[in-house]
Amino acid sequence: MSTLVLGIIVIIYIFILAWLGWLGYKQTKNSSDYLLGDRKINPMIMALSYGATFISTSAIVGFGGVAATFGMGIQWLCALNMFMGVIIAFIFFGGKTRQLGAKHDARTFPQLMGSHYDSPLIKRICAAVIFIGMPIYAAVVMKGGAVFIEQVFSMDMDVALLIFTVIVAIYVISGGIKGVLYTDALQGIIMFISLLFILIWFYKSMDMGFIEANRNLTNIAHLVPDHLRELGHQGWTAMPVTGSPQWYTLVTSLIMGVGIGCLAQPQLVVRFMMVENDKQLNRGILIGCLFIFFTVGSIYHVGALSNLFFLKTEGMIASELVKDIDRIIPLYIDKAMPDWFGVIFMLCMLSASMSTLSAQFHTMGAAFGADAFPKLGRSKNPNSTIAIRIGVTLFIVISYTICYTLNASVIARGTALFMGVCAATFLPVYFCSLYCKWVTKEGALASICTGAFASIFAMLFLHKAEASAIGLCRALTGQDVLIESYPWPMIDPLLFALPLSVAAIIIVSLATKKTAK
Amino acid sequence: MFGINDPGIWMAYLLTFACFVFSIGYGIVFWNKDKSKNDQKHQEK
Repeated sequence: MSTLVLGIIVIIYIFILAWLGWLGYKQTKNSSDYLLGDRKINPMIMALSYGATFISTSAIVGFGGVAATFGMGIQWLCALNMFMGVIIAFIFFGGKTRQLGAKHDARTFPQLMGSHYDSPLIKRICAAVIFIGMPIYAAVVMKGGAVFIEQVFSMDMDVALLIFTVIVAIYVISGGIKGVLYTDALQGIIMFISLLFILIWFYKSMDMGFIEANRNLTNIAHLVPDHLRELGHQGWTAMPVTGSPQWYTLVTSLIMGVGIGCLAQPQLVVRFMMVENDKQLNRGILIGCLFIFFTVGSIYHVGALSNLFFLKTEGMIASELVKDIDRIIPLYIDKAMPDWFGVIFMLCMLSASMSTLSAQFHTMGAAFGADAFPKLGRSKNPNSTIAIRIGVTLFIVISYTICYTLNASVIARGTALFMGVCAATFLPVYFCSLYCKWVTKEGALASICTGAFASIFAMLFLHKAEASAIGLCRALTGQDVLIESYPWPMIDPLLFALPLSVAAIIIVSLATKKTAK
Repeated sequence: MFGINDPGIWMAYLLTFACFVFSIGYGIVFWNKDKSKNDQKHQEK
């Protein structure tokens, strides 16, 4: 398809986004509208937005590439996304979060925690964790979108990144959460249709059934490259060797980091506070699960099976053909799908990146304007949204700058990293705010600080993937990580930080219980 | 199962399908049920 046609379709798409952003702008009267949509959001829009925010380019390009390289073990992530991210999250966290949010009139995640534990300090620390961690995650999502645009349009990466960022910035800054939700819903529908089509097209073009394709993939296990076999790879339909480096990465970073981390992501938690009653959340379970099943499930499955396609057409497996994991899925789309689908998939990728990014920008802006500096710009009008809008703009610039420093193949890891930090820092306090009345303010504070500190310490000094890239440990001690004996350098920070964070909330709460009474 | 020999993989698929079926059942059964409203009514009584 010519660049002209692609350009026209993208311009139409941008106009629709702009119109939805304008719709959000027109319906936003005060800061409650800007942050929570006045708690009256349609369940269909909420669930589609939840799913679309959940599924970024990281899930499609990053984890799809991981599936192509390391195999179907990544399907655990899809299963956990549905089980933990939707079923457990909506049933056990959603209703109680909605009620707690309404009770405290909380409009952001830090406000929810701060109000529940009656501690402005907790609110500020939660906001600070969002400030520090989320721009990195946003930068990773930006990179995923820009890599794809660069390939499709043969455009300079810098230009692609700039255009992409400006479009999201416009509708988030102007439309607030309503602008974000309306565009998310449209983007969710585009993602659903295109990823489902990829799955159907694979079976049609390869002329195979579900079981036959899986068997064929099992039969090419002997083609696993030696360097991957050394890491524990046993084939695309087998889990890596237990205890091998690949096993630790898959299980502790990707599956546990994202699977558990998705429960405590601030930008997802606030979506529970946007609906009017529990009925809306029940409907959200159905819509959310269907969405993840056909989007994430499809791309992980096709990602692994793409090896059959590449073997048939190019005579080699995916990871041999492309060294950069993040470029495998775009190449597969280019080679395997019909020409006209390129434009649909391009919209799908733009949608995936934009829906996640818009929620991240909105959350960071809210943390800045509503949590860290609640009085900024509100001397004359207490309902002013100017501080939040300034926050959104500021964090867009920061994320954009970080994006330039990222190396290749970071998309999947960057996502897992942020979700791991969220799990260690926020999950114990969030869970206890809903279920444990005996937890004290001091216990919550200790848990948040322990989780955040332990996560950062483990990344800087224990987990090789981050520690060696950052280089602080080498600069101070002369070695990449503090404990070099296997398997410690392979274990994800989450496995150190989450138990410590849980222990901190229990021990400190028990110790301070009498004082609190 | 599903043409996959390793239980570590087919169990992931099984859980995915189970979640899919559960969500459909749950969504249909509880489509119009509002637990928070029932709790409120119960408290008022």
